Amino acid sequence: MNTLQSFARLPRATFEFANVILTTPDAAIGQAPRDVVWTHRKTTLYRYRSADRTHPIPVLLVFALINRPEIFDLRPGNSFVEYLLEEGFDVFLLDWGVPDEEDADMGLAEFVCDELDWAVRETLRAAAEEELTLLGWCIGGTLSAMYCALHPSGAVRNAVLLTTPIDPRGSLYDRWVGDEEFDVDYIAESFPAIPGAGIDFANKLMKPVTNHLTTYRRLFQGILEGKDPRESYQAMAKWVADNPPFPSRAYREWITWMYKENRLVTGRLRLRGERVDLARIEQNLLVVTAGADHIAPRAGTLPLLDLVASEDVTHLDRPGGHIGLMAGSKAKHEIWPELADWMSERSDH
Amino acid sequence: MDEDAHAKPGPAEQVSRLYEDLEAQGAKASEELVGSSGFAAVLARAAENAAALTKLSGDAMDIVLRNLRLAGRRDVVSLSRQLARTEDKLERVLQEVEELRDELGRARTRPAPAADKKPARAARSSSARRTKDSS
Repeated sequence: MNTLQSFARLPRATFEFANVILTTPDAAIGQAPRDVVWTHRKTTLYRYRSADRTHPIPVLLVFALINRPEIFDLRPGNSFVEYLLEEGFDVFLLDWGVPDEEDADMGLAEFVCDELDWAVRETLRAAAEEELTLLGWCIGGTLSAMYCALHPSGAVRNAVLLTTPIDPRGSLYDRWVGDEEFDVDYIAESFPAIPGAGIDFANKLMKPVTNHLTTYRRLFQGILEGKDPRESYQAMAKWVADNPPFPSRAYREWITWMYKENRLVTGRLRLRGERVDLARIEQNLLVVTAGADHIAPRAGTLPLLDLVASEDVTHLDRPGGHIGLMAGSKAKHEIWPELADWMSERSDH
Repeated sequence: MDEDAHAKPGPAEQVSRLYEDLEAQGAKASEELVGSSGFAAVLARAAENAAALTKLSGDAMDIVLRNLRLAGRRDVVSLSRQLARTEDKLERVLQEVEELRDELGRARTRPAPAADKKPARAARSSSARRTKDSS
């Protein structure tokens, strides 16, 4: 495209760009048909409808507390849930909901020992099975690892942990909140529910230019070159902007236990009096790390591999970012088939 | 001449490249900046200040509403907490009931001694608790 052509396209591209940005909140995400299986407080367990279940062992998807789980089902044609259904899995999704001030008493123990434990129970009841595959992503992976450590011979047959923080020493988050300088107690006392916008602000601050400038420049450039990035951009942008509040007790415990005291990897974390010992994890384990992950860097996940007692351990290290690895345009042809293959080998009676 | 014209990038492309280089350098510099301990200290203070301001304004608003004899955020949260506690208890009771029902169902399907053999009743469906998601 020569300079004149570029200038000629500029007004149209500008209007198109503005339209894409302004209509992003209207983008439809999380479209796969599903049924509510169980609810408790803000938590909801969904089961996705499928007429072609070939693997009896159900898959329970667990996402982080700081974003919504729709990332598992971003948009038709680029949905991990859709892909798993096509592969014959019975898919359940645990949605933590949107906590508010009344949920300030929800700590990590409530999420792991109540909500997750009860969701596992309800999944098994709904699927009429005795075992399941637990797939956790980000903080959801850490909560799943804690659950597996507390129930080594429980209902979880396979555990899949995606870009999961286990030992956050040396990470940027650790530098920000790990020191005494960051008074997590004061923050947690001031906010009964830590605003999602604040956490999103901090997340974006990790790569300020990339998040606040490069993303928009690339979108504009794409439109100027005649591409149609509307669907993919809007789905991801809408998901990124949807940040539920973090219950203050869980936030305080997460920052203190994980970043300030690094309890999980050193075996000093206790939930309701019971030690969360990662060495007790015996489930078939698949750990996925992303080479360019700046939120849960690979180095912070790898110690898990040396700790667990599982005999069947697989580690996949792939290029990509914390979210891009699983939700990027290449995921459908790269990481999803690998996950599905691993699970299908371990999901039959 | 023609070959030269094709090989040389146009002014727009040159500006674009220049901007992208600048952006890449800016990204690198900003990431170094946010990774410094000085920035972490500033961020910690900024978070505390934001928390303090929010708390002060929230408390002031609550006092105003309370003096106007109107239900404020604090009252709504208090009620929601009571509801949540009730739901916690209800959930535990439901689980106990379901376990008892399952046990009963298993006992009924077990073959009974021939003398007092009664027809087995079907276990109650648990679908009563399941609702459809309209979204």
